[in-house]
Amino acid sequence: MKTKKIDYGRWLLVLPALIVVGTLLVYPIFSSLYYSLTTKHLIKATYDFIGFDNYIKVLTDPDFFKAFLTSILWTVASLLGQIVVGFTAALALNRVNHLKGVYRILMIIPWAFPSIVIALAWKWILNGVSGFLPNLLYEMGVASELPQFLSDSSLVFGTLIFINIWFGAPMIMVNVLSALQTIPQDQYEAAQIDGASKLQQFMYITVPHIKVVVGLLVVLRTIWVFNNFDIIYLITGGGPANATTTVPIYAYNMGWGTKLLGRSSAVTVLLLAFLLIVCFIYFKIIGKWEKEDK
Amino acid sequence: MRKKTLSVLLTALMVASMAAGCGKDSGGAGGSSENDGELKGDITFWHSFTQGGRMDVIQEAAEKFMDENPDVNITIETFSWGDFYTKWTTGLASGNVPDMSTALPGHVVEMMDAEAVIPVDDVIDDIGRDRFAEAALSEGERDGECYSLPLYSHAQVMWYRKDLLEEANLEVPETWEEFAEAAKTLTKDGVYGCSFPCGSGDLMATRFLNFYVRSGGGSLLTDDLKADLTSDIAIEGINYWLDIYENCSPKDSVNYAVLDQANLYYQGKTAFDFNSGFHISGVETNSPDLVDSIDCAPLPRLKKDDPIYGAETSNIPMVIWSKSEHPEICKAFIETLYEEETYTDFLAATPVGMLPSITGISDTEKYQSNEIVQKFSNAEQVISEAVELSAAIGFEHGPSVEAGLLTSQSIIEEMFQDIITNGTDVEKAAKAAEEKMNEVFESVQ
Repeated sequence: MKTKKIDYGRWLLVLPALIVVGTLLVYPIFSSLYYSLTTKHLIKATYDFIGFDNYIKVLTDPDFFKAFLTSILWTVASLLGQIVVGFTAALALNRVNHLKGVYRILMIIPWAFPSIVIALAWKWILNGVSGFLPNLLYEMGVASELPQFLSDSSLVFGTLIFINIWFGAPMIMVNVLSALQTIPQDQYEAAQIDGASKLQQFMYITVPHIKVVVGLLVVLRTIWVFNNFDIIYLITGGGPANATTTVPIYAYNMGWGTKLLGRSSAVTVLLLAFLLIVCFIYFKIIGKWEKEDK
Repeated sequence: MRKKTLSVLLTALMVASMAAGCGKDSGGAGGSSENDGELKGDITFWHSFTQGGRMDVIQEAAEKFMDENPDVNITIETFSWGDFYTKWTTGLASGNVPDMSTALPGHVVEMMDAEAVIPVDDVIDDIGRDRFAEAALSEGERDGECYSLPLYSHAQVMWYRKDLLEEANLEVPETWEEFAEAAKTLTKDGVYGCSFPCGSGDLMATRFLNFYVRSGGGSLLTDDLKADLTSDIAIEGINYWLDIYENCSPKDSVNYAVLDQANLYYQGKTAFDFNSGFHISGVETNSPDLVDSIDCAPLPRLKKDDPIYGAETSNIPMVIWSKSEHPEICKAFIETLYEEETYTDFLAATPVGMLPSITGISDTEKYQSNEIVQKFSNAEQVISEAVELSAAIGFEHGPSVEAGLLTSQSIIEEMFQDIITNGTDVEKAAKAAEEKMNEVFESVQ
């Protein structure tokens, strides 16, 4: 009788990956879930199990909903801006025949900078006393007094979205450009012979070829932008008066400011649930696109 | 279908990992703990002396100590004060704390509460307990034991531009009313009278409000350690600083932290500011032409015949962490920092900015021969007097966790931002901030 031999070798090979996934992905999720049900405090040694109290406190806090709404606006506006700018830049670059590589490198520079450099550079450019841009606008007579891009509540959120579009559009551009270059040119030639307009070529050849790539980019960027912390925190710290406080900053202040790690964990779990729902919807749409293509 | 399910699952896992908190890392002191009379082992020293001069003196002292004790290795890590607080609080949760460190007085109370530091009475006795100011030692005292010892001291005073006051024929203001008038008069030609900073993530607005409240004999804490932002003097103080913000301050200062605020004075863009003797080195570095034009005076008072007072003294403490495997090395190293030669060199890295926390230094020839000390003898005297007249913010009721939380939560800063940005009624905003602060106080009970 033949006995089935267990192949330990293959398990050994995947073990490092399992350990990394277990340590870096699974553990934080379950520890957050667990702590969200406790009074865990950053510097207190002991804590108690309190059921869903943290969730109740978070969900009855008007500041949480304000931060949630700010996060939604931040994500939608940033994403739309990044897609429009990135898409337009990719279409333009796709038509360039000379020095395409140089342009591509130049345009991706914002994406290549570390967040801290971007934040400090923009803080310096927009400084309300000595910043280059406010002084330029004032000297040119565009503004009657120095515009306060980072402290005027009517300007600060728009300013941050502009910076995020400037920062994120190159990534969209590079990916869309790659997708554009995979479209067979003979399809455009055939369409031209058939008398299709530029708009029709764009709608019926370009869009179908790149929509899945754009769809996946939207999924990834939604997650990244919604979770974005560094740029906002480094430039405004969530202020003034919480005007730019998003959910990740709210969670950070809860955990590291007031040191209520349990409540902060509850915020991250709620954030996780929300993003999972968003991703589920996105994948449904992408799946439908894929089905249509077949 | 399977592929799609897998991709959904993978994305879900990625989303989850991004949304979930960071994992803990581990750390701790390394090296042998063997002690047979000779010091032996590795220690880590965290400090917040980020500027070149002070950092160099500490590094040299560590190297000298390691030369004298070849089996000792001292690893120095430097963090800004803001980062330092995050670093040790998160480090405490994960066990990644140093053997010894600097701190702020408010931190020490939290450290003592968390049983994170050990008593250092033997070090104090070796250096000479009577050489330290009793008030400075009491900031780290609990149940008759001292858990910290001050390395240097400074206090908040009013800095002004002599040249601008002279040009405008103004006297150095002595009262808050005179100060506001002078600041408003000097707000012209690209110079602001006084910036009022209230950026979140720092304590500047709390500090400024505390000046006003202390000048009226009040406190931001009640006797039973509750927040008190709705007292008459606190409301008056809030309105006072709102008036300064409206009339003499750059509008951007609603986001200013300590360095943004100081930079304006360093660059000659503000006529007045409130800080310690560190302003001298800041101006010297950024605008050497202005060094002869700056001086300081005691904090303004409510009325001219009110006594001179101090509102905020910082005795920067050193602590030894409970997790240290080599407290004996930490203690021996700390003692060397107070040796006359090293200590004077350390203070000379920021003359008048750091004042000695022990007696027998300020009257030495070496200390007195420093050019900045001589040039700013008036400033040194003003600050030295202020040091003796006050304590850390909220410590007028003795060291407490509440006093530390008063400055670390940015609740007062957010209150000012709310009033300035959203036009919220002052008393309503003060009440809301007071309640929020008290809620935070309760969370640590």
